[in-house]
Amino acid sequence: MSDRYTPDQILGHSDEADGIEEYDNRLPRWWVGLFLFCIAWSPAYAIHYHIVAERSQAGDYDAEMAAAAEKWPQISAEDAANMEITADVLAEGEAIYTTNCVACHAADMTGGIGPNLVDDEWIHGSTKAEITSTITNGVTEKGMPPWGPVLGPEKVAKVAAFVHSKNGT
Amino acid sequence: MSVEPQTQAASLSAVDYDDAIVKKFIAASMLFGVIGMTVGALIALQLAWWPANLGLEFTSFGRLRPLHTNAVIFAFTGNFIFAGIYYSMQRLLKTRLFSDALSNIHFYGWQAIILSAAITLPLGLTQGKEYAELIWPIDLSIAVIWVVFAINFFGTIAKRRVKHLYVAIWFYMSMVITIAVLHIVNNLSIPATLTRSYPIYAGMTDALVQWWYGHNAVGFLLTTPILGLMYYFLPKSVERPVFSYRLSIIHFWALIFLYIWAGPHHLLYSALPDWAQTLGMIFSIMLIAPSWGGMLNGLLTLRGAWDKLRTDPIVKFWVVAVTFYGMSTFEGPMMSIRVVNSLSHFTDWTIGHVHSGALGWVGMAAFATFYWLVPRLWNTKLHSQGLATAHFWLATVGIVLYVVAMWSSGITQGLMWRAIDDAGQLQFPSFVDTVLELMPFYWIRLVGGLMYLTGLLLACFNLLMTVKNAPAASAAAAK
Repeated sequence: MSDRYTPDQILGHSDEADGIEEYDNRLPRWWVGLFLFCIAWSPAYAIHYHIVAERSQAGDYDAEMAAAAEKWPQISAEDAANMEITADVLAEGEAIYTTNCVACHAADMTGGIGPNLVDDEWIHGSTKAEITSTITNGVTEKGMPPWGPVLGPEKVAKVAAFVHSKNGT
Repeated sequence: MSVEPQTQAASLSAVDYDDAIVKKFIAASMLFGVIGMTVGALIALQLAWWPANLGLEFTSFGRLRPLHTNAVIFAFTGNFIFAGIYYSMQRLLKTRLFSDALSNIHFYGWQAIILSAAITLPLGLTQGKEYAELIWPIDLSIAVIWVVFAINFFGTIAKRRVKHLYVAIWFYMSMVITIAVLHIVNNLSIPATLTRSYPIYAGMTDALVQWWYGHNAVGFLLTTPILGLMYYFLPKSVERPVFSYRLSIIHFWALIFLYIWAGPHHLLYSALPDWAQTLGMIFSIMLIAPSWGGMLNGLLTLRGAWDKLRTDPIVKFWVVAVTFYGMSTFEGPMMSIRVVNSLSHFTDWTIGHVHSGALGWVGMAAFATFYWLVPRLWNTKLHSQGLATAHFWLATVGIVLYVVAMWSSGITQGLMWRAIDDAGQLQFPSFVDTVLELMPFYWIRLVGGLMYLTGLLLACFNLLMTVKNAPAASAAAAK
């Protein structure tokens, strides 16, 4: 068949195509190969993903979370609440404050978008537990986002300890 | 059928083509192109410099962004497609359009729809579906006008004076049928007031129907009709035979069969069932070769005419258009692969991707077509080859700046969102931190967009001067 094929043969339809001539050249081989490869790869991928590897979006998420939990074990909320407040903890709390809180509560903690944290007036409770809860769950109707999912219980406890320590200064 | 060859030839040469309608659609396309891209440049500025929102709800980003997309897709591209189809189909089928009345209803109806979109979108009247924002009374008008177009289109095919349908006509047909189906099914809703309605679908079903529409609007408005126009205007421009008839038929059927299933790739990592996400992904992968069939047939048709690339701006526009088509139809399937999508989803990468298609493929094909068509319609020569070449370079460099800026911005954004610190916490928990990082890219994008817009303004001037300097007799003969 290949010996009878001559490229660039005019098809002869141009009188019905406003004078546009057409060759009837063969499909480029690499193009056919690419097409067939994609057609073969597609069901193979689907079978592998769903049946052989038994993967799923929810399964991938669970696996990623489990791996993270193993790599970065989280202390429980209870342990975080009972954490001993040392100078190191307060220093870490200050670093967390500087990264996440200054935008609204200001570097000197006198407030801006969010309220003043050093005037000994508390809108949502003054105990360390209440401050921890405010940071963890946020006050979304006033624009305070919930920081629990972002920081985790340990960092929340540290920044709460720092904020508490600065009260009334 | 039994007419003697000579009489047939005589009667064929006497066909009185309707070129007036083609001229109207070209003028509308250029006008709305300028408006749509100016709004695009404004919203690009707004992202880099917020005071450009002007403090008014009507000019805020959220109101103007759908105005930009609708103007570019339905007004600039829509009118370009109608102009190209009405010009080429009359010649390919050797007959005047089915009905002058329908042609004019189509033209004025479509422009009225665009004007109503330009009023309602800044007022905030929207259905909230991307690329289907227009409210239900306008949707109904679109359906009516599209049916008018379809009757005119198929009526012309019915009264054709050739037997064989050239491949361009097949591509046009796929648009006329598919866009009607997509538009009607996606916009099915129950009106509550004159300006508000509720979709008949809910939740994930609504999202899936929306992206079946959104994906295939790209496929059957921004891809297949433009490929059809390429199959007419590219061989006409370079005066070379189409590389392969066989390839054109095979990539046409493969493209329209596979395209319609790929919509779910817009909903990867959503509540869409896993099997449907896989379906969207693998059909996108299988689309690579059929899309590239179009690019190959375009580029290989240039064999023996590559010398014209140096001298003829029209050939330059076609080469860049077809190359961007090939590039963005490879990029799209890559972005539909799960692992790539987990990085690219919701980032500026997507914006870069659609603009390499819209500015690179659709826009450049439109300019190639208009530079070829306008001198012929007005029986004259292009006012300035130099200006057209300047337009080409402005547009090409503009697209490259735009797309590279959005790639960089998108990948930066995606990597920052997922970055985890040593303690397993988000490295950039504040979204604003990621936005500030993107500012340089937003300014580069604006520069690229403004270059493209400047090129378009040069084209408007060049084509207007061409028409103005056309010999009066031919202008009268062409009515």
